[in-house]
Amino acid sequence: MEKERYFQAETEGEQPETKAEEATAAITQLGQTNVPQMDPDTNIHCLTIVGQIEGHIQLPPQNKATKYEHVIPQIVAIEQNPKIEGLLVILNTVGGDVEAGLAIAEMLASLSKPTVSVVLGGGHSIGVPIAVSCNYSFITETATMTIHPIRLTGLVIGVPQTFEYLDKMQERVVRFVTKHSKISEEKFKELMFSKGNLTRDIGTNVVGPDAVRYGLIDEVGGVSQAMAKLRELIAMRKNGEGKMIQ
Amino acid sequence: MILYTIMPEHLIFPVDAAVYEKRKMVYYDGIPFLVQSVETGEYEIVQNLSTNPFHFLNAKYAPGARFPASLATS
Repeated sequence: MEKERYFQAETEGEQPETKAEEATAAITQLGQTNVPQMDPDTNIHCLTIVGQIEGHIQLPPQNKATKYEHVIPQIVAIEQNPKIEGLLVILNTVGGDVEAGLAIAEMLASLSKPTVSVVLGGGHSIGVPIAVSCNYSFITETATMTIHPIRLTGLVIGVPQTFEYLDKMQERVVRFVTKHSKISEEKFKELMFSKGNLTRDIGTNVVGPDAVRYGLIDEVGGVSQAMAKLRELIAMRKNGEGKMIQ
Repeated sequence: MILYTIMPEHLIFPVDAAVYEKRKMVYYDGIPFLVQSVETGEYEIVQNLSTNPFHFLNAKYAPGARFPASLATS
């Protein structure tokens, strides 16, 4: 009896301690105590394109990267899920692999649901086709986009065929951007090959309002404008569908 | 140290393969996560890969939170 009581007393004494541990675990691990809970169902999903766009070579874990093997199945899932009515794409990327970037851009462009993109901070290099691939694009006032010719980092071009291959690849990027935005091919190429804007490199760093002026991006704005536009596009699509049935 | 080359750093100094093995993508409660395994046999969330913005409001799914490796599905 005495033994039993002893054990019971011990467990009783420990209980409040473990409770306190659980509570502090959340604080030490997350730096926060609790976050608001909301209805888990939403008709608008959000895709973030951050860091580098990873291609065939896996980047070291310390690099923040967007991996196409993560993003592409998500886009497929968004297309399939009838509960999802729109997609908001948030960009803050330095660019990266051309093929992977174009793959994501093509997936977004061929999505049947309304898409709106917002460039925050930066949408450089291959981030440009991703930004313009959406139905409507926004850029914040301070965000920038670097437009420059494509290159193979660190590899020396050995044969003329490699150069031709690169040239064709660049042509694909130019064609995609001019097809999905209001910018003309001449203007885009002018920005791409201009000298003196980037130190000792060719290309242009386009700031928010300038990107809109060139026709690359549709409007200067942030999250509220983007959400309002997305809701408008969703409503338009619903009305369009209603008319089709009639 | 300054390397005078246009070669990307990760091509010159490749990271040990073991570093890559530590991190992987798993599903937990049907949500995709980038996780790394910790000594306690749990997974620590590195990145929440969900496109549903409401999944980011739950502390359970925030980066740094841990869950038992047995609960993960792939």
